[in-house]
Amino acid sequence: MKRWISVVAVLVLVLAACTGGTTEDTTATTAGDTTVPETTEGDTTSTTAAETPDTTGAPAGEADGTIIIGTTDTIASLDPADAYAIHDWELLKNINEGLLRWTPGELELTTGLATDMPEVSEDGLVYTLTMREGVQFSDGTELTAEVYAEQLNRLLTIGPDCPNGVANALATPFLESVEAVDSSTIQFTLSRPVAYFPQLLATAAYLPAHPDTFPAEECVTFPEAPVHGTGPWYITEYTQGEQTVLEPNPNYNGELTPQVDRIIIRYLSDPQTMALAVQNGDIDIAWRILGPELVGELEGAEGLSVGAIDGGSIRYLILNYAIEPMDDINVRKAVAAAIDRDEIVDVVYGGQVEPLYSMVPPGFIGETQAFDDMYQSPDLDAARAFLAESGYDENNPVELELWYPPEHYGASTADWMQLIEQQLEATGVIDVTLQPQEWSTYVTALTGGEAYAGGVLGWFFDFPDSSNYLEPFVFNGGLGTMVTSPEGEPINDQAAQLVDLLNEASVELDEDARAGLYEEIQELYADLVVTLPILFEVEHVVPRDGVSGSDQFASPETLNIGPNLEFYYSVLSEN
Amino acid sequence: MSPLAIIFLIIGIPALIGLAYIFVRGSAGLRRYILTRIGLLIPMVFILASLVFFVMRVLPGDPVRSSLGPKGSAETVARMREQLGLDDPLIVQYGNFLVDIVTLDFGNSLTGGRRPIVDEMSERFPATLELVIPAAAFALAIGIIGGTLAAARRKRPLDYALRLYSVAIYSIPVFWLGLMGQLVFGVRLGWTPIAGRIDPVIGTTLERTTNILWLDAIISGNWPALWSSLSHLVLPVVTLGLILSGVFLRLTRVNVIETLQMDYIGAARARGIRERIVIGGHALKNAIIPVITLLGLQVAILLAGAVLTETVFSWPGMGQYLVQRISSRDYTAVQSVITMFAMLVALISLAVDIIYSLVDPRVRY
Amino acid sequence: MNLPLQEQETPVPQWEEELAKVGFVRRLLRARKWYGADWWFVAISSVMVLGFIVVALFPQWFAPYGPHEQDGPRFLAPGDQPDLPLLIVRADSGFTSLEDLATGPDSEVSRPPIAVVRGAPTAGSLREQAALIDDELQDADTGMRLRPNIQRFDTVEEVLQSVQDGESFAAVMSSVQFEEVADQFPDLEAPTDISGGVASAGDFTLGTNQIGQDVLSRLIWGTRIALIIGFSSSLVALFLGVPLGLVAGYAGGKVDRIMTVFMDSLYAFPGLILAIAITAVLGPSVLNVIIAIAVLYIPTYYRIVRGQTLSVKQEVYVEAARSIGAKAGTILRRYIYPNVIPSVSIIFSVNIADAIITGAGLSFLGLGLPPSTADWGIDIARGQEFIQNAWWLVTFPGLAIMLVVLAFTMLGEGLTEILNPKLRDR
Repeated sequence: MKRWISVVAVLVLVLAACTGGTTEDTTATTAGDTTVPETTEGDTTSTTAAETPDTTGAPAGEADGTIIIGTTDTIASLDPADAYAIHDWELLKNINEGLLRWTPGELELTTGLATDMPEVSEDGLVYTLTMREGVQFSDGTELTAEVYAEQLNRLLTIGPDCPNGVANALATPFLESVEAVDSSTIQFTLSRPVAYFPQLLATAAYLPAHPDTFPAEECVTFPEAPVHGTGPWYITEYTQGEQTVLEPNPNYNGELTPQVDRIIIRYLSDPQTMALAVQNGDIDIAWRILGPELVGELEGAEGLSVGAIDGGSIRYLILNYAIEPMDDINVRKAVAAAIDRDEIVDVVYGGQVEPLYSMVPPGFIGETQAFDDMYQSPDLDAARAFLAESGYDENNPVELELWYPPEHYGASTADWMQLIEQQLEATGVIDVTLQPQEWSTYVTALTGGEAYAGGVLGWFFDFPDSSNYLEPFVFNGGLGTMVTSPEGEPINDQAAQLVDLLNEASVELDEDARAGLYEEIQELYADLVVTLPILFEVEHVVPRDGVSGSDQFASPETLNIGPNLEFYYSVLSEN
Repeated sequence: MSPLAIIFLIIGIPALIGLAYIFVRGSAGLRRYILTRIGLLIPMVFILASLVFFVMRVLPGDPVRSSLGPKGSAETVARMREQLGLDDPLIVQYGNFLVDIVTLDFGNSLTGGRRPIVDEMSERFPATLELVIPAAAFALAIGIIGGTLAAARRKRPLDYALRLYSVAIYSIPVFWLGLMGQLVFGVRLGWTPIAGRIDPVIGTTLERTTNILWLDAIISGNWPALWSSLSHLVLPVVTLGLILSGVFLRLTRVNVIETLQMDYIGAARARGIRERIVIGGHALKNAIIPVITLLGLQVAILLAGAVLTETVFSWPGMGQYLVQRISSRDYTAVQSVITMFAMLVALISLAVDIIYSLVDPRVRY
Repeated sequence: MNLPLQEQETPVPQWEEELAKVGFVRRLLRARKWYGADWWFVAISSVMVLGFIVVALFPQWFAPYGPHEQDGPRFLAPGDQPDLPLLIVRADSGFTSLEDLATGPDSEVSRPPIAVVRGAPTAGSLREQAALIDDELQDADTGMRLRPNIQRFDTVEEVLQSVQDGESFAAVMSSVQFEEVADQFPDLEAPTDISGGVASAGDFTLGTNQIGQDVLSRLIWGTRIALIIGFSSSLVALFLGVPLGLVAGYAGGKVDRIMTVFMDSLYAFPGLILAIAITAVLGPSVLNVIIAIAVLYIPTYYRIVRGQTLSVKQEVYVEAARSIGAKAGTILRRYIYPNVIPSVSIIFSVNIADAIITGAGLSFLGLGLPPSTADWGIDIARGQEFIQNAWWLVTFPGLAIMLVVLAFTMLGEGLTEILNPKLRDR
């Protein structure tokens, strides 16, 4: 009998040893793709970074100057050569200053670590910048041009293998090499001229990564805290699903000096919780992804104010030139003429978004209202006229299948699509069938360009430039528009012209000329109905009274956050 | 040590010791029965797990695409698939899967940041337990009391009323009842919170050991956390418990009615024992046994109800996890969760069977 | 899991023996006297079930709107009237109606800016009325069009201020809102109201949802899909489960043991989770939901039928039939099958109820049905988002589910008591 029990006891201990594992590293939950979905699936998880002493965060707004920012995002990666999501970039840009950055509140590039805007060679292939003196990481490590260049090379060496793959989008297509000419000068050699390379330099991918934390041979998505950088702040501790704590960098010698003693990012599971938290004062600022209903609620609430930012996130329809009936330009134009953007904006979004009349949203260079000028929708007569040209009428309607992902952009997507169905069918000459499809299958099929005639998609810029709202939908299959083939062959002369103009604009260094080119491009784009822009989302930031931005920069009422949605914590102050 | 391991130990050690005791002391027939059942358990779990494995692979949709979205270039997707072994031949993947099950290696989730699934389960399994056990207890309590009353007053108005209640409550969709509860008690009256396990701010002050929040609060003496977690528990537990109470009420009622028709009850009455003691003392004791053993069957309903309840109350348990992971095609996570469910159900029904066989003297092996 | 059946030893009352001699239907009717309240259970629930079936077959007779029409203002509460929208202009502008704002090729502005409060339902009236006018203008071929450039502001004051400042040519807002602040804006007047398009509240008895669809109509149309799922999946389960149970019970031996183990595992496993997995594999459509739910209930029929078959098989008359050489098929058909019918029909009724609830649960989780279907579960799932402000979106579909399921369950329960009080409750 006794032997039995000891055997059992041993078995139990063995079992326990197998199943009991400790977690060493801080690990993340998904941050999704960089398009801004309406609802995020946040997991409230709690694993600690190896070095943090305890997980207690300071309660909201303690008198020593702490500001708590709430978000429903999660951290996916803190490695500059890898990170590709909005929240990751926000953290990285606050703890690091790069060669160039944006002026808070506006779409204007300015110098960061660089002393001047870059010198560009005649052929547009070489960019040279000089760093200012005495730049140090928050732990005292010096940043020389050699160190910087070496770390930037990670983008070309291990960057393409990192899970989030920002290097594949923002480095490898353009960049050939980076080297330090001397201890304070860096030179970038491009594989082809790119007019928006300065904007690329301002992205998080080109930030300096600490040489010890981020070695050259591997991606470190979750470095151990404290995470040091060259920016006004550094991360003292972070816990996935709970909070990230930032404190001022004692070695920072730039312009964006911190105004408070501590910033805490609190991770919340969903927008409702965030809205409640900012109303209760549990957090000082609610930032992004609130949804129209919650925004309406918060606007009526006391003790806080709601700031609206015309954000860069847009929604549009992809229409596939390779699949019937969307291969017929008349059908495409009919759809463009029948759509009623205002109805969608009001009925589905309660007026919390704005109609979009061209792929380039307001605030970006060369913006126009191309689709409105051309189609003046909703114009059912014009739609019917277009269709009649191709022989469609009430007895011979167009059969159109529209696909959509029911959960990825939020549950209101189904409502959206029903509305579009009704708008198109109101012509009497279009028969719409709606097809829901799970996101991963949907996005592969849609962007592959072989399966769907039409579908809805969202987009957020990789870097704030008009080219990024146009080129992805034209080049190499155009994410499913098939205006050019996946190998780059334009389908007709107009498409070829569009490609040429885009290429020209991407290397045109003169601002005005560039703007003129983009205007021309958008007109051609609308004539071809490459995609059908529908709306752009308005991001909301909700600060409690007593928290404010800086008067030095534009739009202090939205905490100096401009159309590029860059949130610099240094502008925040308490009163 | 992870919370999951702690819970397994708390439940596992006494269970194994008890099992060993029964095994040693029981009759030969009983021993054979237990061995057979344990023997059946393993293939059953394997079959179910394999079924899930193949089902998930048949699903259209790609977990890597799901997390990268349209921005992921085809090369990135291909590379990640290779890294995760998603392009290996199915046999190879299945082989690895079997090895993993045997070594209890649940792997990492495919989407959602590649966290070890054991970690995610460590947080979510206790959350589901925290919800499900009190709900079952609550349902049992109402069911047994109500059922006994109904049986005692058979064919009278109270009986019909209680039977109507049991039928009606089972007709109410659990998620709707939860929403109504949220609406009335949370939104209109403001008495209880409407979502989550604990207030998010207080939650950061709580040290987690078992991940059963009120237990952890007691352990660390964190009274605000205790209050918060208990107040968050009220609505979900009552919702789930009420729905199940109907089932238990019917079961108890029928069993008590049958028991009351037994000869020994008649004998007790003839001896002049008071009706209340007859029912409460004699009848109930014998009627409850089948009810509690049938609890084993109800585990399935309990878990199903838990999935819906967790979704309504944003309760981060295994049910909610499952639903989320299915839509992002996270094979490993879904496999692990369903395997876990299957093992749970199998173990509980085994335990219940064994207890029943011991307790009911009429059962012979 | 095999539980040994317990023996029942009550004497059978005289009237029961008599009743047992009559046919099924007559038994029911004559039973009213003897069965009392249970009979009423069955009667009332049968009437309800019939009613639901009629509504499901002919929803267009009962529903004022189609399932997808969104004609109303958003979030109209039950019993509320939609606000009367006023057109507000500067008194010196000379505009007296919306038509005055039409523009043509020689107008300065091609799209007159008209201000509205963000999210207000009156914006819908503006759009609809403007669309009507625009259509007329286009038909008249004068080159004039009315395409307001809608300016959205957060507060009533901001809206009126923009008209006052001349930024917007006009504003549209509810009369209630305007009256509250009219004296702050003396330069503005409201020459007319915009009444086109928005139906009166009498047409939206239970209010509207987040895109202006009538809740009552969606409730009625939802009956159709609920009953389709309920009946179809139960029928499929029945047609598969009953034969399997008969075979297993009659054949016995290894066949029986293997099938039972399989069915028991299926039965013991949480049904909803299985259904979730199946619908995830097959994709969102009504057919797939039916299949998924049917799979869940096959074991139930199997077990009952098998149990009954086993006990009937041991009856003397069956043994007698076998000894004179009757074939298995004959025995099954003549003796076993009729004994099985009453229990199966009870299960069927309860099964439908269960299937409807499971189906609702699936669509609540967003699985199974295409999201634009008019279905109770889907409506509740969408309504959950707005529970704080629009309680009616969640309440009424849930009540509908409850009533339908209750009706079927009561029917089954009542039938249980009447047809076979000896039958053990599951």
